[in-house]
Amino acid sequence: MSTPILKALNVTKRYGKFTAVNNITLDILPGTVHSVIGPNGAGKTTLFHTLTGTTPITEGSILVEGEEVSHLPGYKRVRKGLARSFQVTSLFPNLSVRENLRLAAQGTRPAQALNPWKRPELLRQACDIAEQLLARLNLQSVAERLSAELSHGQQRRLEVGMAMAGQPKVIFLDEPTSGMGIDDIGDMKKLIHSLRENYTVVLIEHNMDIVMDISDSITVMQQGQILAQGKPNEIRNDERVRRAYLGSMITGGKA
Amino acid sequence: MKHIVHFRFTLLVIAVVLLLPLCVGSGTLATEVLIYALAALGCNLLLGYTGLMSFGQGIFFGIGSYATGLALLHLKAPLLISLLIAAVIGGLIALLVGWFSIRQRGTYFVMLTLAFAQMFYFLAYTMKDITGGDNGLLDIPRPNLSAFGFTLLPTTTSWQYYSFVAVLFVVVFWLLQRVVDSVLGRTLLAVRDNEARAAAVGYDITLLKLAAFVISGAVTGLAGGLHAMMTGVAPLSNIEYHTSESILIMTVIGGTGNLFASVLGASFYVLVGNWLSSLWPRWLMLLGFLLIGVSLYMHKGLYGLAQSLLRRLRPGDKAGAEIAKEIH
Repeated sequence: MSTPILKALNVTKRYGKFTAVNNITLDILPGTVHSVIGPNGAGKTTLFHTLTGTTPITEGSILVEGEEVSHLPGYKRVRKGLARSFQVTSLFPNLSVRENLRLAAQGTRPAQALNPWKRPELLRQACDIAEQLLARLNLQSVAERLSAELSHGQQRRLEVGMAMAGQPKVIFLDEPTSGMGIDDIGDMKKLIHSLRENYTVVLIEHNMDIVMDISDSITVMQQGQILAQGKPNEIRNDERVRRAYLGSMITGGKA
Repeated sequence: MKHIVHFRFTLLVIAVVLLLPLCVGSGTLATEVLIYALAALGCNLLLGYTGLMSFGQGIFFGIGSYATGLALLHLKAPLLISLLIAAVIGGLIALLVGWFSIRQRGTYFVMLTLAFAQMFYFLAYTMKDITGGDNGLLDIPRPNLSAFGFTLLPTTTSWQYYSFVAVLFVVVFWLLQRVVDSVLGRTLLAVRDNEARAAAVGYDITLLKLAAFVISGAVTGLAGGLHAMMTGVAPLSNIEYHTSESILIMTVIGGTGNLFASVLGASFYVLVGNWLSSLWPRWLMLLGFLLIGVSLYMHKGLYGLAQSLLRRLRPGDKAGAEIAKEIH
């Protein structure tokens, strides 16, 4: 068994007296898709926030390839190889799609961003990554449009692309299909599935069809705690999960 | 051709500084336009490119005036050195003000800049030995631009001084345009658009905002220094809250997010203000109406208005629309 690329040890997040994430321990193995599921309010997004550094943790430890990152703010964790997408689309609305991706790619070398003289077109690497992603996300035809003008489906794809642009080791996707129409969901599923070739994926998703089909392992959360962990098959047949999480939802998808 | 696109706004600015003397009868008034345009450029970098509404620009303007005044009076510094001192001190004070203010966002950020503006005003008022207090710093000389004992450009008459300021203005505008087109400038736009996302893709927001503050402070300090030389006085009013307010209003009226817009805004504010004040002492009331109009219907300011007029005149011009889009 390979060593985990991301390890969360007893991660706890409290807001005053309320414990949103309680003592979570996770091992994310490299090259896998690890899904986090659970009912609304289970603490999935808060767990994401703590792992990616969007909010600081109260207690616990987060290791990326054995290196402690829990004390680092989010922007510094990008340099350790973490990147994320947001549940509520979070783009640069007044900038073009190409510029969104270019800026996201440039973020891994933030010291360059302070250069007040060099033209951004000369930073070839970030520009090249943006071009490749435009093709991969099928956004070439709208590359010059402002990201605010895109359709919801396109925005969600770009949202995932923003995380891919940093070429991270671990990519966190927070409900990438949220609000998507039935036609767009298929494309998104293919996209997420293709990510495992390059990245380790941590996924929050409500669409059980996607989760059961493409996950290597699943963590089920309830009220800030882990209810069960295991392979899709084990989760589907877990009695506690069925009881807690409306059995009907879990039976969707293929084995 | 590609290069002309990069320089199109600088070329426009050169046209403005050449046309100003033809439209304005007084050298002092024309110089004032450029000085306030400089200050508005600094403000625009913060407001239009970084999304920071600073009510503290008067601090840097006032401090620039004092710095140049003191350098000329006590150190007998040459022209460019005394202006350099104004820019450096303006930048340093901006670093200090920015360091504290950017810890907060939105309303609290604005309140902090406002608090600093008040604080520096009273500091200048109290330190009479240095600033001249209520009377201001008087009898500031205006040296010629010279090197190795040769006078390169005299600054004695108001039009001579205008030529010097005009050259300096074009250079600073070109530099600033370069900055906003640079990696830094484009990343600042990301901070303006969505801080949370900019942080999530790896940017140190604090550092970027500080960089914008320092550049803004230096440019505004330089403007203050030029102003002190123009009038021969560094008055207390230069560091007053009212100066901050005027700079901000010029920037908003001109339009944010494009540097040339600030040149329009400052020209309009200074020239129309000058004209109206000779007709009606309560002209500021009209300015109030204009500001309401801009806030309600014209978010892109005079620059946006000019853009849409141009587009209407040339309906088939797609390139114009593209440029307009690029400028946001």
